[in-house]
Amino acid sequence: MLFKARSARGFVLFSIAALLVAGCAHADEEVSIAPLAPASGRVDPGLGPGTRALSSGPGYKGSPSWSPRGDRIAFTVDGYVVDKPTDSGDQRRWTTRDFFAEDTEWVSENTLMILGATQPTKTEEISSSLYKALAREDSLGLEKVGKEVLALGRGREGLVFALGSNTHESGLALVRGDGRVYRPYTRPIKGRVAALSPSPAGDDGVLAVRPPGDREISGLSIFDLRKGEGREIARLDGNQEILGTPQWTEQGLYFVAGKKSTSLDSDGAEPLYYLYHVPQEGGAPEPAPAVGEDFVAASIGVSPDGERLAVIGRLNPKSPTNLYVLDPLAEDFTAVTTNEDMEIKTEPDDLAWSPGGESVAVIARGTPSTEPEVRAEPADRLLKDFYNLYEIPVGRPEDAP
Amino acid sequence: MRDILFWLSGAVLAFLVTAGAFLLLANLAIAPSAKSLTSGQTPGGSGGTVDLELDTERLASLEPLRDESLDLVVENEGGERLSDVNVTLSVSSENTALSDSRYYRRTVEMIPAGGAADVRFEFDLLPSEQPEAKPPAATQEPSREILELRATTPEGNSTVRTVILPP
Repeated sequence: MLFKARSARGFVLFSIAALLVAGCAHADEEVSIAPLAPASGRVDPGLGPGTRALSSGPGYKGSPSWSPRGDRIAFTVDGYVVDKPTDSGDQRRWTTRDFFAEDTEWVSENTLMILGATQPTKTEEISSSLYKALAREDSLGLEKVGKEVLALGRGREGLVFALGSNTHESGLALVRGDGRVYRPYTRPIKGRVAALSPSPAGDDGVLAVRPPGDREISGLSIFDLRKGEGREIARLDGNQEILGTPQWTEQGLYFVAGKKSTSLDSDGAEPLYYLYHVPQEGGAPEPAPAVGEDFVAASIGVSPDGERLAVIGRLNPKSPTNLYVLDPLAEDFTAVTTNEDMEIKTEPDDLAWSPGGESVAVIARGTPSTEPEVRAEPADRLLKDFYNLYEIPVGRPEDAP
Repeated sequence: MRDILFWLSGAVLAFLVTAGAFLLLANLAIAPSAKSLTSGQTPGGSGGTVDLELDTERLASLEPLRDESLDLVVENEGGERLSDVNVTLSVSSENTALSDSRYYRRTVEMIPAGGAADVRFEFDLLPSEQPEAKPPAATQEPSREILELRATTPEGNSTVRTVILPP
């Protein structure tokens, strides 16, 4: 019996040891796994939950544009144009090294319109033209559609662009999905068009214009794309100028404006621009309701249904830049991001609504360091160190509680 | 008393055997086992992994010169001797439109298990020439230079470090 008890105790101890070994041992040796490609999943780069990186790596990116189906996004990088799937996949290049692209817009699933110029010489002035580019794997060929093009905007009916070579008048034309000029409008706009955007319904356009003899972009005009007629509906006084592209919402026209300044003010502060509203019938511009009187606006974009306005700006001059959405009908102004660390790019064409209106693409980066930064990833996978595109969900009005 | 001890031991043993069987099944079900997510390391075949150590003070003192140099340490993190470890340095601009990236390569013949080897790169860190004219939308900021260092074992395991140098 003593033997039995001893052997049972020994067996129990052996079993415990065996269990510990079996339970803690790993079948395989340690193997490292490559990091997840940033564009293939949700990441939180400091712009809030649900944000998705749409690009990665170095390069000065700008002018994002969603394809009509929303499954691809095109943008400029250091002057050339690329597009890529919004979920994952490689980017596709559309222009060559000797071409500078300023802006790009889709007109169909396989056609991009590109505003840009071939590389000028030192003395040559850059004059931008509008080009059509087709998605072909074997060619980076561009077809010139219009020269001396000043601005473009995509609407429901196609792409509207302004063109002209002098400061007294500009012309407008409409491009359809095949990339050909469908309708050149015969009645000119007085002055030089600086920016334009079609209304969400596609019947009209709103233009920021530098009137003849004026040094500032101070005129706000509308243009009836059916009748081919335009008229000025507001003019800014004094040294004020319109910044970026005015937007046409269901509740009137919105634009960003402020005192023109080519450099920092005398007190070292950046010039401040504010968001204004004008009824479609015209009148004196008034500060946009609901945004707060200290709000400093940078760029705006109307949602595809015309009911909301995405605004990049700051709650006050000392606040960080964030993305907001204004519902003009409800007079509701909501902060979509509450970011403190990322620099959201504030140039006029640097935000774009997805075709369904569920999200907005912005361009942002972390604050650059003055010291060398060492990262444990290849440069082309890095996100916050460079300007990159992010898709930020903004919800829909019916989602609101 | 002995009988009680015997039966208690038996019960404990039965419990442990059953628990052990479940543990064993659980381990089989999740095979392959958890992998270490070592950042900056790319898997290749089996074999040792390497790490790269950079001197941050030296990085801060790099100048935009044609004849810069950088010393780094390649560490063998495995338990076996490594031979013919390739170490590469690419120098490029943050401006991706400039295509004059420079590539440099060294081969470390042998690194003992758990040991390290020094590698020195002499390279051109002059900034890439900017285009003569820029479109209105182009950034006015000077571009930063990017150093990408990669150590790769013959089995294909690699470790990368990207250094972003302020302008």
